[in-house]
Amino acid sequence: MIELFDVTRRFGDETAVDRISLRVERGEFCVLVGTSGCGKSTTLRMINRLIEHSEGEIHLDGQPIRDFPEDQLRRRIGYAIQSTGLFPHWTVARNIGLVPRLLQWSGSRIQDRVEALMALLGLPPEFAHKYPHQLSGGQAQRVGVARALAADPDILLMDEPFGALDPITRQTLQVELRDLQDRLDKTIVFVTHDMDEALALADRLVVMHEGRIVQQGSPIELLRAPADDFVASLLGGDDRGLKEAALVRVGERMQPITPKVGEAPWVSREATLNQALSLMLWHQTRHLLVVDDADAPVGRLSLDALLQKAHHE
Amino acid sequence: MIRDARPNRVLVSLMSLGLLAWLGLDALSVAPNRLVQGTPLNPVEALGWWVTLVGALPMVCVVWLAWRPTAFRLWASLGVVVGLLMAMPLWLSGAVVAVLDPELPQARVGIGPGFWVLLFLWLLVLVELRIRLRLRRAWVWGLLLFVLVVWGIALSHWLTPLALVQEYQARSDQFLEAVSYHVALVGAAVGASLVIGLGMALTMRRFDGLRRLGFGVLNFLQTIPSLALFGLLLAPLAWLSHQVPWLGALGVSGIGWAPAWLALVAYSLLPMVRNTYVALEGVDPGVIESARGMGMSRLQVFFQVRLPLALPVMLEGVRITTVQAIGLTAVAALIGAGGLGTFIFQGLGQAAMDLVLLGALPIIAMALMADALLGALAERLRRREAA
Repeated sequence: MIELFDVTRRFGDETAVDRISLRVERGEFCVLVGTSGCGKSTTLRMINRLIEHSEGEIHLDGQPIRDFPEDQLRRRIGYAIQSTGLFPHWTVARNIGLVPRLLQWSGSRIQDRVEALMALLGLPPEFAHKYPHQLSGGQAQRVGVARALAADPDILLMDEPFGALDPITRQTLQVELRDLQDRLDKTIVFVTHDMDEALALADRLVVMHEGRIVQQGSPIELLRAPADDFVASLLGGDDRGLKEAALVRVGERMQPITPKVGEAPWVSREATLNQALSLMLWHQTRHLLVVDDADAPVGRLSLDALLQKAHHE
Repeated sequence: MIRDARPNRVLVSLMSLGLLAWLGLDALSVAPNRLVQGTPLNPVEALGWWVTLVGALPMVCVVWLAWRPTAFRLWASLGVVVGLLMAMPLWLSGAVVAVLDPELPQARVGIGPGFWVLLFLWLLVLVELRIRLRLRRAWVWGLLLFVLVVWGIALSHWLTPLALVQEYQARSDQFLEAVSYHVALVGAAVGASLVIGLGMALTMRRFDGLRRLGFGVLNFLQTIPSLALFGLLLAPLAWLSHQVPWLGALGVSGIGWAPAWLALVAYSLLPMVRNTYVALEGVDPGVIESARGMGMSRLQVFFQVRLPLALPVMLEGVRITTVQAIGLTAVAALIGAGGLGTFIFQGLGQAAMDLVLLGALPIIAMALMADALLGALAERLRRREAA
């Protein structure tokens, strides 16, 4: 659990972060989002003391972070950044094993851990002896995430880790990260300026502007009731309806009746409402057949159901 | 792999120039004794038309091969050029026997301009071939080793009338001493400037004000002519050795190794500090940030990340400094610092050009070797992390 109490950070006369308070529960995926220079990265780095806070207090599981020696503190917190920060003169395996080595684990334990992490992140074992410049951007970022997870920290800090990747790779890694989070139950603080990424990943979305927290809550809460025009426009303005639809699965909206086979174009139960809407537009139809993973029909989705449910609830 | 059907202009022109030098320039000179100006001889005058034409043939052959340069033809050219470099001392041995009058034991043979030009051009051809054939440096050095062996045999057995060899034989003890002294002085200066330079670069990184001051002073030092710097150090060092007896006992005085070493260090500092500073600053800040973020201590970040990543660029500084110091040490002979420069200035004083060569050739060889060795080392370090 991470708690920030009235935390302020000044650089000279400039106030980068202005009296923010935030509480991230254990196992929660918290995304800090905002325009550049809003203080989100500064906030992130104050948590592992790469930047010291000027005022206020930051607690980790109830203990002020200044009670820990900084190096010890950082070894307990995973850290991944946009440029990956992999050491170019070290192999992938050595990069991943960095923190365990700092913690003086035994050689065989480090090796086992590295192998396990590479498997977890879908990196082929032969990558162990490659150097970072031999990897693609997506592979390098996987190594970066593996390195952050190496010593099995409870907390993971990620500063736009997927910012430099192409859209397809980025989306794949987002899905994998979300999946990883569900399995490993880490407390994650994630910084991004990409709203789609934020909406796709967050349990709790924290919108920052000019060093302050403007609004926080679940993605749905923020989409439904943005605190002001700034949050509304950041969330996509008129596109908000589609963004919200992207958070809801077809399975939650369909009517579980057995339809006549071959009646209409079909959509997967796992697809999102905006994908369903897109299919309706494309096929110029008001009804979709819903299928399960095995392509067996399980229900039916009408335009009315899609629209009605989207506005109420 | 190489399908370039157009003539390789570099090889063709280098070898054509080589042909002209062979046929048109004097390759040798013969003098009845050490002090008399020699009579120049061209290859025809030395060994006759037939041998000269046979000697020209391989060069014509390379021009022909380079006209349509396939990989095979380039490899053949490489063989021919290495063969030529090996044949050179053998031809010289034959010529020495042919032109020397056995009744004049004092007579000596000098090496003429044609010979040097050919050596230079053929080495350039070798460089071009290395690049075209994408050969490793070490590989070419290996080839040159064979050439050097042939040269060594020829020099020790058949080329004794060569003026250069005679100058060497007259002072073979001094020569070895001079070479080792030269190397020691360069090593001590580069070593000291490496330590001081690293210290200065680290201090400058800490304090921004010192950075400007430091580079200002170093730039100024670099502009003082080397002889003037030696002169400037003369008085203070003489005074110092007089005041502090143990320094005097160590051999510190206004002339000799002490001022030479100090001046060499002073000149070495600018390239050393600049490269070290740039190298340390140039490390990707993202890498440093993540190293800190992972919980490495400041010392661990420096020794495990920043220093190893800066090393290739720092080595570049060592390379520049070493090559520069090898040359400057020659000048230091003027203030009695010893080394190979001694021969150069003696030779100049006695108008004995071959004595000058005895000093100059090893200096050139040392500089080339240091350059190649340190360059290869930096390249090797860099290759691993080429982004």
